Amino acid sequence: MSAETKVLETLVLAEFATPEALVDATRQMREKGYEGMDTYSPYPLHGGSEALGLPPSRVPFIALCAGLTGTATAISFMAYMNGFDYPLNVGGRPIFSLPAYVPITFELTVLLAAFGIFFGVLGLARLPQPYHPAYEHEAFRSATTHGYWLSVPQFATLQADAIMDQLKSLGATQVTVVTGEKE
Amino acid sequence: MAETAIHHPPGVDPLEPRMLVPPHHDDASLNETLLDHVWAKPGKGWFLLFGIALVGLGMFLVAVTVTLARGIGVWGNNQPNGWAFDIVNFVWWVGIGHAGTLISAILLLFQQKWRTSINRFAEAMTIFAVICAGMFPILHTGRPWFAFWLLPYPSTLGAWPQFRSPLDWDVFAISTYFTVSLLFWYIGLIPDLAALRDSSKSKLQRIIYGLFSLGWRGSGRHWHNYKIGYLLLAGLSTPLVLSVHTIVSFDFATGLIPGWHATIFPPYFVAGAVFSGFAMVITLIVPARKYLKLRDVITDRHLENMNKVILATGLIVSYGYMMEHFIAWYSGNEYEIWTFYVNRARGPYAGVYWLMIACNVITPNIFWFKKCRTSIPIMWVASIVVNIGMWCERFIIIVTSLTQDFLPSSWDLYSPTWVDWCLYIGTLGLFGTLFLLFLKFVPAVAISEVKELQLELKHAAHHAAHGADTGAAGTLTHGAH
Repeated sequence: MSAETKVLETLVLAEFATPEALVDATRQMREKGYEGMDTYSPYPLHGGSEALGLPPSRVPFIALCAGLTGTATAISFMAYMNGFDYPLNVGGRPIFSLPAYVPITFELTVLLAAFGIFFGVLGLARLPQPYHPAYEHEAFRSATTHGYWLSVPQFATLQADAIMDQLKSLGATQVTVVTGEKE
Repeated sequence: MAETAIHHPPGVDPLEPRMLVPPHHDDASLNETLLDHVWAKPGKGWFLLFGIALVGLGMFLVAVTVTLARGIGVWGNNQPNGWAFDIVNFVWWVGIGHAGTLISAILLLFQQKWRTSINRFAEAMTIFAVICAGMFPILHTGRPWFAFWLLPYPSTLGAWPQFRSPLDWDVFAISTYFTVSLLFWYIGLIPDLAALRDSSKSKLQRIIYGLFSLGWRGSGRHWHNYKIGYLLLAGLSTPLVLSVHTIVSFDFATGLIPGWHATIFPPYFVAGAVFSGFAMVITLIVPARKYLKLRDVITDRHLENMNKVILATGLIVSYGYMMEHFIAWYSGNEYEIWTFYVNRARGPYAGVYWLMIACNVITPNIFWFKKCRTSIPIMWVASIVVNIGMWCERFIIIVTSLTQDFLPSSWDLYSPTWVDWCLYIGTLGLFGTLFLLFLKFVPAVAISEVKELQLELKHAAHHAAHGADTGAAGTLTHGAH
């Protein structure tokens, strides 16, 4: 494959010694006007979302919609199947019997809401993602075990040094530039 | 921080998280401790246990083959005992599964920090227990390859399932429970699988764990959605776990058979499920934490807390027995009185009944004493006794009620055949096999959660004027962080 057909994404990666230093640096970088940054840590950072300036997650909304879909599906399919399409008369009990529909309605609500949450989390995080430019840097592998990293997208080549200096002055223990293929 | 151990100051909120992880660990060393057992070659003990589990699995396969080849006539079920070992084992296994969800979901919602060390373990137990449970009703259909008839699908017969039947509720309840537990477990695993991927030594390991971790890299944007999603799944699982065993109890409670027709069943079944589930967690975790060297994260305090839950739920179960007997007497219904006071207590299965009372009513009361709550051998034996007791309870509820119902002319005794026993022991083998594979390939403790907790505790210790308390277990020291 030829390099011309790919759009290259260049990131400045910086490692910080502690989660607090990472959150602090992220906030200061954002105040300086850098956008599209991302933090990487083995566990959720305290105040990390705020430092990145992320809007509230849409997962709860997705879950609510999926759950309500489950409720509506359950009641309508049971009413149609047992009440209309294939009515079973058991001891003269009512054909459309809401109390008897409660358990399955509840279960289906929970099931679809859970699917909504699961695929909502993965979808909003854009997973599965087999490749990410940050992995061009071998030391970045510590991000899931014990490292605290910040990535700053670099839009113009001229900026690289400026960004690296900024990050160093904020206490980064190591700074590097990685270039990878953009999906 | 100074080496001095300062005592818990009076007036401190007892619900505040206490030191549950020794502070001498940092993220890298926690990683090493908790991932170690995945990278290490399994020892002789693991192979021995795995061999035993495989023998059990073999028994299961033989019993399933015989059942499928010759039909469920090879079981001891008869008229009037249409349900026997299969539903006993089904309810028992489902109940065992419940502690996992309870630990992971309810304790998360209640912000019980001590859960983080045991939730992974307990959720794995849930999933494997539900798999074992599901085997029984599916085999009981006699033709498992038609099990999809239980689901609403556009059949050429033009028939739909009967949604007013508690048995169909069961299908939905168990399959939903299994699916949601699996999603919850998997989503909790993703960060740890990524940690495994990134600390793997060989390319093959990196590829396999890489596939399962879906490209997770601990991004702030990932965590942002993940945290709320995990919490919401916990919120969903909490009513789910209560509903599943409630629905299982409806299988009985909506019937008219004396001994089943009781409104106490839903809460009493749920309490019994938690009771047996926590007992199973103790049974499994006591040896596992020893051999996987997890004492630093699964402390004596965790075990003590679980024993307190066993005591509490054991008392609820005892109350359930009392209420059943009281209502049988108070209703004046001669069939109920016969079932509870003659058939169960003095009938052909009286031995099982009294074993149940001994195991479930008397045993948990030893946990009133701190000595018993903190003694490893005592709690391990007690947890096995509780599991036996809960199995006896299911047997008593099902078999004694069915063998002698309204008309003496229709009475008949039940005794399990070798196939019944092989199926039951076989599911223990199936469970053991899955569990040992889990311990080999997946971190048994939720690493990212333990690290997060560790950080929170450090902050708490930092902010407290004179350091945190020394921890009830007495194994924790201050300093060196």
